[in-house]
Amino acid sequence: MSIAVDSSAEAASTVAARTPIASRQVSKVLPQLFDLQDDSRLTVLEIGRALPETVRFFSSIRCKIHIADLYSELRDGKLDRNATGKSLERCFQEQLALPAGTRLDVCLLWDFPHYLDEKQLRAFSRALWPWLHPETRAFVYGVHSGATILLNREYGIFDAQTISIRPRSDAALPCSPHPQSFLNEWLTCLSVSRGILLADGKVECLMRTRN
Amino acid sequence: MFDKLKSTSPSDRVMDSKAAEPALSAPSVGASQQPAGKAAVIGAGIKVSGEISGNENILIEGRVDGRISLSGNDVTIGRTGQVMADVIAKTIRVAGEVSGDLTAKERVVISGTGNVHGNVVAPRVVLEDGAIFKGSIDMDPGDAAVKELAASKAAGKANGVTSHAAATNPATTASSAAAHEAGNKAPDLALKGG
Repeated sequence: MSIAVDSSAEAASTVAARTPIASRQVSKVLPQLFDLQDDSRLTVLEIGRALPETVRFFSSIRCKIHIADLYSELRDGKLDRNATGKSLERCFQEQLALPAGTRLDVCLLWDFPHYLDEKQLRAFSRALWPWLHPETRAFVYGVHSGATILLNREYGIFDAQTISIRPRSDAALPCSPHPQSFLNEWLTCLSVSRGILLADGKVECLMRTRN
Repeated sequence: MFDKLKSTSPSDRVMDSKAAEPALSAPSVGASQQPAGKAAVIGAGIKVSGEISGNENILIEGRVDGRISLSGNDVTIGRTGQVMADVIAKTIRVAGEVSGDLTAKERVVISGTGNVHGNVVAPRVVLEDGAIFKGSIDMDPGDAAVKELAASKAAGKANGVTSHAAATNPATTASSAAAHEAGNKAPDLALKGG
C-alpha cells in the first residue's frame, strides 16, 4: 500500500448556482476503479443516494448499478444500531438487497464506514463479503487521524477522474472517523491497496478484496 | 382514450368513488410531463387494477396496480401518478411514484419529483436532480456508444490527457426523446381486470 500527499487534488471548482453540486474534486484513485476492458460489463454497488451525475457517468458504460442508500437506512432507523452479531449482519444484507448470483466489480462506499462503530462495520463486512470476487475494487474515504472532521456531504461521480461533492440536505448522522489502521482492521472484507492523502485530512482509498 | 375504456366491460375497470366526473377531463400537467403525440390519460381520480396493454402512449395521473405493457409506446407517470406495477414501454418518464420494475427499449427518465422503488432496465437512464431512486439500474448503451467511449479514451491517452466520459455522453432530458409518433397509430388500449 502506498500513500501520497496530494494537496492540489482538493482544489474544488464551484459550479453554476442552479446545480446543487457544491464542488468537484479531481481524484487519482477513481480512474483505477474503472480500468477495465472496453467490452466488459460492470456491476457496481453504490452505498449512497442515486445522484444524477453518477447515473449519467455510468450510462456510457455497460453496467448494472445497485443503489442501496444505507445512509438513509441508518437515518431512518432501518439499521438497528443495537442489534448484534448475526442479526446485524442480516440487517445489512436486507438493506443491500442484492439478488442471488451478483458479483460486484466496484463498490462505492464513500465515507459510510465512519458512520458505523467497530461492531457494525465488521457486520457490514460480513454482509458484503459474499458479493465480492477476487478482483473487486472499492472506493472509500479514510481519514488521516481520528481528529479529522468529516462534513455532512454526499458524493457522486462526475466523470472518470472527478468526484462530485454535495452538502446533504438532511441532518448529519453521528460520525466517528476511524483512522486508517482501524478501517483496515474492521472492514474485514477489503484491504487498502492505495491511499492519497488530501489537504483536509481525508484519504482517498482504493481497496481490494482481502485474500 | 376513455371512450375506449368505456367500451370495455365494467368489470374490467376499477374506479374509486371520486372518479366519475374528473376522470374524463385531462388533468393539467406540466409541459415536461406531457408525452409526445396523442396519449391516453388516466386521470388523477382513477384507479386501475389489472393489466394495461395496447399501442398508444399513456399519461398516468391516477393509480395503477398490476402491469403496464406498451412496448412500442411512451408511458408517462405524472406528478400525481401512483403506479404499483411493472412497466414495459419504449420510453418511460416518471414524475410521480412507482413501485415496480421499469423496462424500456429506449430510455427511462426519472424527473426531479419522481420516486422509483424497483429495478430499471434500459439502454439509457436519466435521473434528474431531486429524483428518489432505490433499486438497480441495468444500462447497456449499445456498441456504438461503447466504441465511441473507447475511441475517446484512446484519443485521450494518445494526446496525453484522460478521457471525459460525460463529454462523450452528455445527459439528455426527457424532452429530447419526444419525437415519438404514436399519435399516427390507431389507438388501441386494453384493460384487463386484475
